[in-house]
Amino acid sequence: MPTLRVDGVRVTVPAGATVLAAARAAGAEIPTLCHHEGLEPWGGCRLCLVEISKPGWTGEGKIVTSCNYPAEDGLVVRTSGERVVATRRVVVDLLLARCPGTPLVQRLAREHGIEEASYEVNPEPTDCVLCGLCTRACDRMGVSAIASVSRGASRAIAPPFNQPPPDCIGCLACAEVCPTGHIAWSEADGRRTIWGRVFEMQRCEGCGRPHLTAAQAGWARARGAAEQDLRLCDACKREQLARTLRAVSRGETVAAQAAAS
Amino acid sequence: MRIESGGAFEAHRRRVAEARVARRKTVLVCCGTGCLANGSAAVLDAFATRLTARGLNAELGVFVKKTGCHGCCQRGPLVVVEPGGTLYTKVQPRDVAEIVEKSIEHDETVTRLLYTDRKAGACTCQGDVPFYKHQTRIALRNIGRLDPRDIDDAIAHGAYAGLVRAVGHMTPEQVIDEVERSGLRGRGGAGFPTARKWRACRTAPGDRRFVVCNGDEGDPGAFKDRSLMEGDPHAIIEGMTIGAFAVGAHEGFIYVRDEYPLAVSTLTTAIGQARDRGLLGTNILGSGFDFDLRLSRGGGAFVCGESSALMRSIEGKVGEPRAKYVHATTRGLFDCPTVLNNVETWSVVGQIIHRGGEWFARLGTPLSKGTKAFSLVGKVANTGLVEVPMGTSLRTIVEEVGGGVLDGRPLKAVQTGGPSGGCVPESLLDLPVDYERLTEAGSMMGSGGLIVMDDRTCMVEVARYFLRFLTEESCGKCTPCREGLKQLLAIYEGIVAGRGRPGDVERIRTLAEGIRLGSLCELGRSAVNPLLSTLRYFGEEYRAHIERRACPAGTCRELTAYEIVHDGHPGRSAGVNGKRRGARAVQRPCNGCHVCVAACPVGAIAGERKRPHTIDQERCIGCGACYDACRVGAIRFFPKSERVAADADAAC
Amino acid sequence: MTLACPELTRLEPILARYPAREESLIQVLQDVQRAYRYLPCHVLEQVAARLHVPLARVFSVATFYKAFALTPQGETTIQVCTGTACHIRGAERLIDELRDRLGAGPGETTADRRFTIRTVNCVGACAMAPVLIVGDRYRGNAKPAAIGDYLSEGGGGHAH
Repeated sequence: MPTLRVDGVRVTVPAGATVLAAARAAGAEIPTLCHHEGLEPWGGCRLCLVEISKPGWTGEGKIVTSCNYPAEDGLVVRTSGERVVATRRVVVDLLLARCPGTPLVQRLAREHGIEEASYEVNPEPTDCVLCGLCTRACDRMGVSAIASVSRGASRAIAPPFNQPPPDCIGCLACAEVCPTGHIAWSEADGRRTIWGRVFEMQRCEGCGRPHLTAAQAGWARARGAAEQDLRLCDACKREQLARTLRAVSRGETVAAQAAAS
Repeated sequence: MRIESGGAFEAHRRRVAEARVARRKTVLVCCGTGCLANGSAAVLDAFATRLTARGLNAELGVFVKKTGCHGCCQRGPLVVVEPGGTLYTKVQPRDVAEIVEKSIEHDETVTRLLYTDRKAGACTCQGDVPFYKHQTRIALRNIGRLDPRDIDDAIAHGAYAGLVRAVGHMTPEQVIDEVERSGLRGRGGAGFPTARKWRACRTAPGDRRFVVCNGDEGDPGAFKDRSLMEGDPHAIIEGMTIGAFAVGAHEGFIYVRDEYPLAVSTLTTAIGQARDRGLLGTNILGSGFDFDLRLSRGGGAFVCGESSALMRSIEGKVGEPRAKYVHATTRGLFDCPTVLNNVETWSVVGQIIHRGGEWFARLGTPLSKGTKAFSLVGKVANTGLVEVPMGTSLRTIVEEVGGGVLDGRPLKAVQTGGPSGGCVPESLLDLPVDYERLTEAGSMMGSGGLIVMDDRTCMVEVARYFLRFLTEESCGKCTPCREGLKQLLAIYEGIVAGRGRPGDVERIRTLAEGIRLGSLCELGRSAVNPLLSTLRYFGEEYRAHIERRACPAGTCRELTAYEIVHDGHPGRSAGVNGKRRGARAVQRPCNGCHVCVAACPVGAIAGERKRPHTIDQERCIGCGACYDACRVGAIRFFPKSERVAADADAAC
Repeated sequence: MTLACPELTRLEPILARYPAREESLIQVLQDVQRAYRYLPCHVLEQVAARLHVPLARVFSVATFYKAFALTPQGETTIQVCTGTACHIRGAERLIDELRDRLGAGPGETTADRRFTIRTVNCVGACAMAPVLIVGDRYRGNAKPAAIGDYLSEGGGGHAH
């Protein structure tokens, strides 16, 4: 269990934790865009920069991303040194030039004292900050229907050939992790549309609402999901669980629980 | 034929070496990419034809060898006749008959084809040529001397002697100790101590390990790795096999740019021959050690020269770097402990093991040992491939080896380290070349390109050039590099086009600092070096562009106008700068020779022969082709803004 | 894809050279690019299926690396080296001349599909700067005025 010092506060974290986790445990506020608890750290947005030093180091500390730097014993972390703040400010300023109309970026800019972008504003404003959360979520699902295309300033997130992605199952994982709401989707008449593809929805056997796409169900089945897990929507599953728990707490037999399912 | 033991290897080596000593004459035709571009393939064919016609062949002890780059590319196609090392330059197929008659059938020389310059005169022997005389070749020792497609030729020249010693007589720890004694540091740019890297990999936990050769020489202006891969592939294979033995790896990759087709085919052949000889594969030289190599061709992305991106690329993925808070020696290729070294680093390992680390450490400076190979290019008289001891001054390299600036023009700066490096101004040219000195001067060793720049090179434009390159090559993963370089480029495009604004320099500095500190990988972090170093040493040029809309070098097209001097007086502006011969500027009025008319790409120059010409300012695109072509220095350039002002005066 | 497509026959020998794993992807695409002069959509789909790599990742790699093109290229590729040495020795003038003569700039293919013009990042023949490569034929010290000759002499027949 490494113990480190974040902005003067001593904090002990489990082995394998990151500096970001340690800093947050110590009460420091560090902005992030490309970080998500459920996904591998990526280190792309560069907002979570901190300055570290170790006992015995001389000179200036090293600037690293806290989201993927391992919390090591004895590490001294400064989350808002002058260089860190200045660098973070440049990053936010650049993001504002890229995404001038995006509320999340505007808020970050305000928090960093930026009124308007110091650089040439993107002639084709976008809400995509290229945090890579969507593609990582899609990879994590084991689907990999979308990916980054091209490189450098022309980098974008897209399905293959910019056509409706054949591998997509319409699970919405990408849209749900997107921090700016850039990934558009819609649902109507038992159909869900995302990335230009239309998916037939399967209805919940409890409440009758459409709750997952047929492609999603097929995908889950192919990976060995039990049929009963696909019948109910999350709300109905929770309700059923609650009913079971109530029954158990009233001392009713386990048979009742079995009957309920 | 497989060689089963160290003893058998030595017997084989002696046999092939003695056979070579017995040869009467050997013709070495340089077939590196440079000489091929100058037509050396036809020269090689002409030798084959001529020798056959004269009845000269191997039985009579006459051999023709197709070799890698000899180095002095400027004077190619190059041909050397052994023994004696007679060097012939700019050889054309029509010269071959005379060479065969004089140099091969008799022991005479073809004087007109010898290397000649003002200082050294005519040099009969390769070793007398100033370009070679000041070099110390370790990595390049055999390039140009051996046929890279013949493993026995390489063995005769000493290849694999280090491997025999390592697997036959040393423990892996002893190999690492020997490399440590040599003081060898990575030749890819950053200069990390090689032995420390190997030791870290050897002690890292894991069952599977890799050694990788970084042959993704992406720096524009650098080609020493290409020449090594094309000219002496067995030195690389030997080095990697020794490295694998030292760290306990059984698999290796050579990552080569696909833009180097000759390197790809030479390495493929060499790997196949090494397997046939049992120098790769299972139970190498009967030692029980197994190791094999594969080639991985890059897809054309500069960022793949960055180690973590290179490894992703070998895995078949996009070349996106990842944080190196956990080193590749612990978690690298396929997440296994990996040693990645540059081509040149691997190339010297065999020599270090064969001759001992102390031998290598005797050369160089206290912290930078041995020699360093460079590609010397740009506005220099003798462009080519050079290798000098660490600590040699840039001035020696440019003036002694390179023969000074092309056309005797004044030297302005030497760019080192490619897009990650910087420009060292003329005033610092006595700087000894080593890792620390170059970094202090705001540049870096990089992968070994030395680009000589004269007074006709605009330093703002050079910075813009590297920025444009890096903006295209950024992978786009991290915000500062992707967005920041794009914004920096926009500022620079404005400055060179005459749209510079007050405050541009401050904006550049703020952004550059953000990119330097904030970027994920070394591509972004060092991308600002060309900007910062030109700002540091050539701030005046920035001011001229921004404040006066003038390009002092006269190369920014939007800012520069050209005119032909008719009356012999240079005229008003400082932009006059005649063609030079030696240190003396020749400046005469236009004699109507028509050379500029032919050189102009847009047909903007008119005039009868032997009558002064004029440039149609409306059609002129400001490219300067006429200026560079003019033999009498009759063309001058000046800021367009002056012409606009003069026109306005005239109109009043 | 069960559609019988004669175009795919050229893919089989390429796939046979490499193990059916993700690490072969770039190598396979290099060979496909060479065989077809671009990466046709249906070939990429087949490559994805055979190497067990998601199609999105194949597309990602195909658009990331500069060696790959997703549109058909001209019969002959003209590469203008824009390495530093070529840059300071006038590569830009070669590009101007090509644009003038062929009506196509870097990254473009002529209307008759005979030529594709590309800039390349240093081919390592800096000593010969500026360098132009027509097909696989290197032209050192290339001169704008001689471009007509380079094009008519073509790019074949150069021994490597």
